Amino acid sequence: MELKSDLKILVVDDMGTMRKIIKKMLVQLGFNNIHEAQDGSEAWPMIQSHLEEGTPFEFVISDWNMPGMTGIELLKHVRSTDEIHGLPFLMVTAEAEQSNVVTAVQSGVNNYVVKPFSAQTLKEKINTIFASKK
Amino acid sequence: MGTTGFLNYSRPFIDAAKKVFETMIFTKLEPQKPLIKKDNTSLGDITAFLGIMGEFEKDSIKKNYKAMLVIAFSYDTYVKVANAMLMENRTQYSQDISDVGGEICNMIMGSAKRHLVELGYSSNMAVPSIIEGKNHTISYPTSTNVVIIPMNSAYGTIYMELCYKEED
Repeated sequence: MELKSDLKILVVDDMGTMRKIIKKMLVQLGFNNIHEAQDGSEAWPMIQSHLEEGTPFEFVISDWNMPGMTGIELLKHVRSTDEIHGLPFLMVTAEAEQSNVVTAVQSGVNNYVVKPFSAQTLKEKINTIFASKK
Repeated sequence: MGTTGFLNYSRPFIDAAKKVFETMIFTKLEPQKPLIKKDNTSLGDITAFLGIMGEFEKDSIKKNYKAMLVIAFSYDTYVKVANAMLMENRTQYSQDISDVGGEICNMIMGSAKRHLVELGYSSNMAVPSIIEGKNHTISYPTSTNVVIIPMNSAYGTIYMELCYKEED
């Protein structure tokens, strides 16, 4: 499945290393409109301001554990905002415990990926999310 | 904790480290014979470490425990690992790759955690920290034995250390 290369993506992670890795994987996969935020508290105003400007983000990839605002809190903000409640959201987590997966699903995440992961795994997760959106 | 207990506890970390290095750093780790550490000087120039607290349950008896995961790299190995992970071509260490070690620690701990649960250990991980510089020392939790697990890779030897203490 081919997604448009200029899909507007927001990558949220407090670790610069992981943001860089995800960004490079996305570039490898052919995407070229990638923005970054250091945590949920930086990401949420960005999501709101881009929405107000009429150029909303079309996909969010967010880490779970972050200071300031966690990935789950960010997801809850998104899901409770009418204009963007369906924004595709991929959660990145270092922990694959069953309780975490349940929490993520209950919060409305579209999919999740457990670290460590390859570019191929990221591609499969993205394809699954957007295939179900069709 | 006896030798068998420590081997059981360390196995998920070794497996997780191998998985992290194969998936994100594109190299295989070859674990070597574990050694008991005699002092608190790092075996590397850059040390990433992460504190762990949790509960261990065996035969319906619950005990709290404290542990620490340490990964030490020489400057040369660290830069090669960072280059592989970030797809870059650096020649020396700089501050902007200082969180690479922490992220590796994070991924190893996260990956080990689910297997530790199967062994009866719950664990809460702290935020990883980094110490950098020649001959630096590490503050281990008091009264713990530290076990070094050297792991050879194409980028040089990586020293994983684990210490563990059950609380009364």
